[in-house]
Amino acid sequence: MKNFRFIWVVGLVVTLAIITIPLVIFWPKDTAPKDDPWAHVPVRPPHTDHTALLPGPFENPSDVTRACLECHPDAASDLMKTTHWTWESDPVMLPGRSEPVTIGKKNSLNNFCLGIRSNWPGCTTCHAGYGWSDESFDFTNQELVDCLVCHDSSGLYVKSKSGLPAEGVDLAAAAQSVTTPSRDNCGSCHFDGGGGNGVKHADLDEHLYNPTDELDVHMGKNNFICIDCHQTKDHLVSGRALSTSITLENQIYCTDCHIATPHADERLNNHTSSVACQTCHIPYGAIKDPTKVDWDWSTAGQDLPEDPHEYLKIKGSFIYEKNLVPEYYWFSGMETRYIVGDIIDPSKPTVINQIAGDIHDPNAKIFPFKVHRARQPYDTVYNYLLQPKTVGEGGFWTTFDWKSALEAGSKAIGIEFSGQYGFAETEMYWPITHLVAPKERALQCESCHGPNGRLDWQALGYPGDPLEWGGRDLNTGLTISAGK
Amino acid sequence: MFQHAYFKRINFRRTSLVLLAFGSILLATALLNHQAVFASPAQVDNPPTSPLHPTFEILDEAGQNVLLSGKPVSTMKTCGTCHDTDFIEQHSYHAWVGLDEMFSPGQKDGFREWDTSTGYFGKWNPLFYRYLTPPGDERLDLSTAEWIMTQGIRHVGGGPAVRDRNQASLLNLSPSASNPEASILDARTGQAVPWNWSESGVVEMNCFLCHIPEPNAAARAQALRDGLFRWANTATLLGSGLVEQQGATYTWNAEAFDKDGKLKSEYVTIQDPTNENCGLCHGLVHDDLQDPLLTTGCKPDQYRTQTSGQIISPQRMADSGMNLANKVSLDRSWDIHAERQVTCTDCHFSLNNPVYYQADANSQPDYLTFDPRRLELGEYLYQPLHQFARGQSAQSTVAPELKGTMRSCESCHSIENTHDWLPYKESHVRALSCETCHVQKIYSTAYQQFDWTVVRTDGHASTACRGVEGESGSLKALIKGFEPVILPRKNIDGNVQLAPYNLITSWFWVYGEPARPVRQIDLMAAWLVGDEYAPEVLALFDQDGDGELNPVELRIDTPEKETLISNRLQTLGLDNPRIVGEVQPYSINHTVAAGDWATKDCRACHTNDSRLTQPFTLASYVPGNVMPEFVQSTNTQASGDILLLENGELIYQPDTSQEGVYIFGHNAVAWVDLLGSLFFMGTLLGITAHGGLRFYTSLKRPRHTPELKTVYMYTVYERLWHWLQTFTIILLLFTGLIIHKPATFGIFSFSGVVIVHNILAVILLVNAALSLFYHLVSGEIRQYIPRPYGFMDQAIQQALYYLRGIFKGAEHPFEKTPEKKLNPLQQVTYFGILNVLLPLQVVTGALMWGVQHWPDVAARLGGLPFLAPFHSLIAWLFASFIVGHVYLTTTGHEPLAAIKAMMMGWDEVEVYHPVEETVEA
Repeated sequence: MKNFRFIWVVGLVVTLAIITIPLVIFWPKDTAPKDDPWAHVPVRPPHTDHTALLPGPFENPSDVTRACLECHPDAASDLMKTTHWTWESDPVMLPGRSEPVTIGKKNSLNNFCLGIRSNWPGCTTCHAGYGWSDESFDFTNQELVDCLVCHDSSGLYVKSKSGLPAEGVDLAAAAQSVTTPSRDNCGSCHFDGGGGNGVKHADLDEHLYNPTDELDVHMGKNNFICIDCHQTKDHLVSGRALSTSITLENQIYCTDCHIATPHADERLNNHTSSVACQTCHIPYGAIKDPTKVDWDWSTAGQDLPEDPHEYLKIKGSFIYEKNLVPEYYWFSGMETRYIVGDIIDPSKPTVINQIAGDIHDPNAKIFPFKVHRARQPYDTVYNYLLQPKTVGEGGFWTTFDWKSALEAGSKAIGIEFSGQYGFAETEMYWPITHLVAPKERALQCESCHGPNGRLDWQALGYPGDPLEWGGRDLNTGLTISAGK
Repeated sequence: MFQHAYFKRINFRRTSLVLLAFGSILLATALLNHQAVFASPAQVDNPPTSPLHPTFEILDEAGQNVLLSGKPVSTMKTCGTCHDTDFIEQHSYHAWVGLDEMFSPGQKDGFREWDTSTGYFGKWNPLFYRYLTPPGDERLDLSTAEWIMTQGIRHVGGGPAVRDRNQASLLNLSPSASNPEASILDARTGQAVPWNWSESGVVEMNCFLCHIPEPNAAARAQALRDGLFRWANTATLLGSGLVEQQGATYTWNAEAFDKDGKLKSEYVTIQDPTNENCGLCHGLVHDDLQDPLLTTGCKPDQYRTQTSGQIISPQRMADSGMNLANKVSLDRSWDIHAERQVTCTDCHFSLNNPVYYQADANSQPDYLTFDPRRLELGEYLYQPLHQFARGQSAQSTVAPELKGTMRSCESCHSIENTHDWLPYKESHVRALSCETCHVQKIYSTAYQQFDWTVVRTDGHASTACRGVEGESGSLKALIKGFEPVILPRKNIDGNVQLAPYNLITSWFWVYGEPARPVRQIDLMAAWLVGDEYAPEVLALFDQDGDGELNPVELRIDTPEKETLISNRLQTLGLDNPRIVGEVQPYSINHTVAAGDWATKDCRACHTNDSRLTQPFTLASYVPGNVMPEFVQSTNTQASGDILLLENGELIYQPDTSQEGVYIFGHNAVAWVDLLGSLFFMGTLLGITAHGGLRFYTSLKRPRHTPELKTVYMYTVYERLWHWLQTFTIILLLFTGLIIHKPATFGIFSFSGVVIVHNILAVILLVNAALSLFYHLVSGEIRQYIPRPYGFMDQAIQQALYYLRGIFKGAEHPFEKTPEKKLNPLQQVTYFGILNVLLPLQVVTGALMWGVQHWPDVAARLGGLPFLAPFHSLIAWLFASFIVGHVYLTTTGHEPLAAIKAMMMGWDEVEVYHPVEETVEA
């Protein structure tokens, strides 16, 4: 024992352990689950500089695509599986139909410009390909894939009719600049949906190129780019237009990064089983630029004073709204869709995308929507919606003659036109999911509860304000846990 | 007592479900209480109509339909068709406002010499200034009629607006200039003139003011000011479509009535009182999220807001229209309860409302936790008590028997499952009201001082507002808000808690014996000629000679100025005019913040400049050098001091030590620290001198190589025990010092250090207990027990060695052996430390910790104010001991030999050569 020179080290360690261990054991612990959204945000390595790899010159855009495919042989075939290329979903069985259907811009009607068939060149400006100007477009030709629209960072690449590069675009400069898609790439089409800044989506407009902290907490304050949330694998961009969701596949949720009950306040966490995050955290749509909420095609063709936000001879009358207070409905993320040829009841508004969910649906939550209402042509004999040919020779925008335009349009979409037409009221539901405000600007209790609240509780299926009448568990017997 | 009604919403839901089954009348009543749910968004612009309140005729005083008579509405008759309006009016302190609690001036303890009631009618208020003259007073100030014209604007009617002080109808009084109840002061002549009640009518209790949305308060106030008392309640309906006004005539709108003379159902908007209804008299209420809230503060029409800065609104401060300092960061609402849709009447409910009322658990038999028996809703609607559950505010003394009947914080909120971050939460909750932390700051302005010793040309006092930078009342002024003063609040249950208040200090002239406040009309006569200052006044007060008195000049700050005004008052026949000052506390219980905005930093209070004792400005100057005194009839005992600073500012310095509150890190008993540190420094000096001398003498002495032998002195356990104790004591001293003086050690988390200190204390205690067990069982305890025989001699011998021998290189007088390690001085020191200091420190420490669990035990031993300084004193002694102890270990043959032995166990001890017995036994 005498020879053990380092007994004091042992003693010191033991003594300190006796002191430290109880301190560690009895130190107050924070047991609340941690919300660590940053853990889900991708960190990207710097993109390879392609300047030397693609010296050019390139005669035509397909030359660029060929050059890309030399090193990225799967890129085009991957992209061609996605809706950025097909503009059409895989065939799906929908309730009440005997055959599977596909939907998408390619073959569907909406209540904005109504439909692309026979009107291609203008609409397909935003197609991720080159030259879709008529039905004959070859969807299997890899060389027609437009790599640049998503990867150009020169800022000088602009698409034009049929998706071809605009006159004078320096293809070599664009090719050499390729990098990870930025807000500019996505925004060039998506911020201008409906044909102009913020027209279609109340939650997407050109202010998102450089948003302020208050406008969008993700893209502003935290400097996100689109693909931080719309994460992409093999050119399949995640997320789907909620207005055309006949499946939930590949959808994005707030809870992909945030926990389902992130609030310090239990009262707020109790909301998350019935209220979508977006409902409180996106207090307004169309904050900076107005969005179109109403389109009356029936007044088109007259020589009235024109104002792009009120009336255009080619399109009819509009109502735009800024600082849009959303409408709130139960929403499970699913919806059914008006398919060309479906019979309508012209005496009441036809819902083009009927959102699914009600107070009894455990998967549904109260969700904010922009509702776009329109009066659009329908066949008064066959009682279905019609699609006019608008663009080009014989199109309504040239002739201002509904009958011939509808005739041509009907031919293009493959339905009979009786020659008798009228204008039917339609509605489209556009869920609002971008423009998440900083939490300090989220809705407050009074925004929904109390005499001046935004929500029409009875319309939502409650007997009255759940603050006083109890939540849907009490009123429907549903047991719903917080979650997606 | 109607106290602590632990009502839960679920009960209401059950109630209403039952009601749904039981018939339409009861259903109607339940829905009436909650009619708001029927207001669909489309109806927001128009006041929602009552879904179930039946239509009714509007009747006049004679019970005739007003459509036929064209006379003013009588609420008592109209509402009295179905409700017992007499009962309602008789049971309403809002109506009576002290009329039933009147007394002769000077007859009630705690009230002013000239107060005549506990309520709004008769209790003088320097903010309104006018004095309700009691019968028999020589000079008439405020007669009943003029009280209604001025103060009646904040009075619901009924009570003193229909009755005289003998509780007979005012209409029976014949006009008489000598009766303050049947006359009025003519402001031009200063003379009382008769008031004809049968001409003016009286003001019945105004049901509409609280039970319809958007009552026309402005038109009502105008009718009152014009003396059209009979029409005041009718004026309240202007704008509702029922009645129209042309000049002084009101015309009932036949369109609003059906063919039976009843109101059409779309005009029936009877409702439960909303926050806005209450706000008409009580302060600023703002329920609209879209419309930015805007107030410049200190506005007389927002009573509670001007007295305390309280604002009831769900709106976020950052969204308001006010020029608030750091506004962008203020993303909290003005009031969390308003934000959470808790309305005024949810806490201040009618005391027989069966939905809300529940008997106090303490008044129930032990076998009952909830009494399910309820008043029938029909009975309640017939005779709803208009005695509303009330709090226990400092300023409101009316209806004292109802104090504390309302829902308080604890009635709804549980601290059991919350506040776990807060160490010693029970102690905190016992000492602090919830508001202290949850109304940590007022983000608005409130009155600070009223100087009625002077008068502005508009007849008003010179006032000052707190919480504002720049000209108060201007939209451009920066509103910085203020932190309320923390005063001990004597709760209705007898407990004392610290709670937030605003203090408004007023100075004014009184005259005569017994004293009366100088009438405003006399004050103006003393200062003004017409609407300008009298030349003599200007000559003395107008320093810059611009012919006007700016707020700085308009002050009585010299004896000459006081004499001048005093003389001028005497000229008016006022005897012995003198200045009096008083401080009125105003409770702050609203504008509550949620946890994120509550005080959470320990060092807000646990530091030298503790929030709890922060000085509070009373006034920017002291008129006539008169120090004000606290008003007596409040719920607070101001135990601090009113101090006059050198810059002329008057402050209140709270002193929590008077309340038996000891705040760690803030309170420290100076002499304990002084004595302790002197002892510590003395020990340090002593060892320095001793060590220096040893070193000096050792240099002069030939080097002596002692004969050494190696002995296994300390067992492993003894060493472990010793060093563990060393570490814990040193760490305890260090953490204790941080807790004692947190401001000096800013980098440490206060609450964390407290936790470490407590855990270390347990380790020390366990270690000490185990070691005691070891020493007892092994018999080693004997080493610590001085043997009485020869002890004194040996102790002296050892002492002499330290004083003399050690410097001469003499040998230690006693041999250190494993069986006898301690010399007599060590024995006595350790005996003292282990038997006295350590137990005392353990006991005081445990009690201080135990204050949260067994406050009574600690209280019996003097509570924290005694225990904590005592604990500190012993800590100083421990620190001194350690210094001495460490030094004495160096007195072996080599300075570090003893420490090394304590580490390694093996000691090199000098071979002992017993000296001759020099001391006789």
